[in-house]
Amino acid sequence: MKIEYLPHTADVVMRVEAPSQAALFEGALRGMAGLLKEGFCEGTDALPRECHFALTAPDTTCLLIDFLSEVLTRTYTEKAVFCKAVFNSLSEDRMDVHVYGQEAGGLDEEIKAVTYHGAHISRNKGNHWVTSIIFDI
Amino acid sequence: MKKVQKSHLTPLPHSFWEIPVTFREDMRVPARVLSSEPLLDAIVGDRSLNQLVNVATLPGIQKAALVMPDAHEGYGFPIGGVAATEYPGGVISPGGIGYDINCGVRLMVSTLALKDIREHLEALSKELYAQIPSGMGKGGNIRLSVEEVDAVLREGAEWAVARGYGTREDLDYIESHGKLADADPAKVSENAKKRGSDQLGTIGSGNHFVEVDYVERLFDREIARAFGLSEQQVVILIHTGSRRLGHQVATDNIRRMMTAMPTYGIKLPDRELACVPFDSVEGQDYYKAMCAAANYAWCNRQIIAWEAQKAWENCFGDAGGKLQLLYDVAHNMAKIETYVLEGEARKVIVHRKGATRAFGPGHPELPDRYQAAGQPILIPGSMGTHSYVLAGTENSYDRTFGSCCHGAGRRLSRTAAKKQVNAPVLKEKLREEGVFIEAGSYKGIAEEAPVAYKDVEMVVDVVAASGIAKKVARLRPVAVIKG
Repeated sequence: MKIEYLPHTADVVMRVEAPSQAALFEGALRGMAGLLKEGFCEGTDALPRECHFALTAPDTTCLLIDFLSEVLTRTYTEKAVFCKAVFNSLSEDRMDVHVYGQEAGGLDEEIKAVTYHGAHISRNKGNHWVTSIIFDI
Repeated sequence: MKKVQKSHLTPLPHSFWEIPVTFREDMRVPARVLSSEPLLDAIVGDRSLNQLVNVATLPGIQKAALVMPDAHEGYGFPIGGVAATEYPGGVISPGGIGYDINCGVRLMVSTLALKDIREHLEALSKELYAQIPSGMGKGGNIRLSVEEVDAVLREGAEWAVARGYGTREDLDYIESHGKLADADPAKVSENAKKRGSDQLGTIGSGNHFVEVDYVERLFDREIARAFGLSEQQVVILIHTGSRRLGHQVATDNIRRMMTAMPTYGIKLPDRELACVPFDSVEGQDYYKAMCAAANYAWCNRQIIAWEAQKAWENCFGDAGGKLQLLYDVAHNMAKIETYVLEGEARKVIVHRKGATRAFGPGHPELPDRYQAAGQPILIPGSMGTHSYVLAGTENSYDRTFGSCCHGAGRRLSRTAAKKQVNAPVLKEKLREEGVFIEAGSYKGIAEEAPVAYKDVEMVVDVVAASGIAKKVARLRPVAVIKG
């Protein structure tokens, strides 16, 4: 799994690459957590906060953005940063997932929203799943 | 898709440049840029004009997709974008308003001059920082129940005034009197209400701030007098919006519209432009939720103004007097307004994303005191540079759907700014120049450093040259509070 943060005039672009759809989604989750609080998920085993939700979306890219948006909402309503996702089911356009995290106290970055702009999941030459995601900060 | 180059733009009168409707076959109207030639060089450097071309494809868009001289790349709409769509059958697009619904600016004027407060600036900046919650993940001092959030969403700034945060007179000096009647709290999700339950009275982070300035120069003394401005006078500028409640309203509705668009046969070049007909169920639900979030933002700025007054009193006691509200205006909003199109007066849905409403003299929405002067337009610069007070003119109706720029506009990414700026050095340098900064982090100072922004003087000169606004006063910061 590879996560990079790239410059954008007003916002932050995150590029994620992973060997499977589930790994891409979890990588994006960890990347967003790293933006909210740098290093928060590194070496953390105890993740006592759990949320469960299901989503449907028009396509896989929308499903990823909606997944991150849902986790971001819960970050603020539950006052926790989420680091791990366990998918009960995951397809092109729907998911049923448990996410795990812990209280974070203050944040390094306040993300307003996860945008659809420029996001497009594709496969690279190595058959890895890749996309960029722009966060409104 | 081909990138817009300077050679694709044709100059028009009044400092406009046009990308013709023939540039791309899905454009419904031309795209127009209000800019000087030097600013245009910066604008074509990023993807803002391609985003503007995408806006020109929106169903029901009228006349032209427009962008102001402080334009820069956003997501979906460019920042600085203005689009008017047909009412009621044209589309409404949350992307044309932004996640921070009713992000806006409020200016308050004091009875003190710079000389009266110069020795107390550091104490004032610390007191403002103490009184006004700011920064990442910070809640405010007010905790609301769901019922109380509903009341704020319905009543806007009135909710705050009824509880002692300011006076009834303040409401006359807020766009739409700080309350949109079409707001419906039932259209705002529980998640949004939860996110908004502890955010009133907070400025947040990013480019939001509370700033103490003084009037360095007057350009139009008659209008300045009407606005209650005089040279050397100390004023306070507040920039923030609907906080996390508004972010959630936008997220909820963009997601919903994404699914609904095929029902209406809408296909767009960018998903972030997601839109539906204004008169559809989804369009009406979003509009009513957006109005509710806008009311929350006005209530927020009303409470922050009260917090600023408290800090002011703690520093100066009775000698400081009362801070009077000059004006409060939004720059992320959709409004139903009437303009003359093809010789007849028509209602349109004006989307402004990083663009300020700018009504001219005599407009019925303006308070009596500003009827002859026109609407105050508040243009923040960056810490260490100037901010401006402008006045709206009637020219803006025909040229920009009653809109003007909203700031200097970013030129550097946050990453680039952090690489270029040594924040502790900048803070000290500004202090030596007489500007006291109180911020939650050095990262925030670096990201918002003056070098990250375009030259606000150039931006303001363009709007003045175009005739859509008049320069009234130039403000210079002396204390800046950031998250």
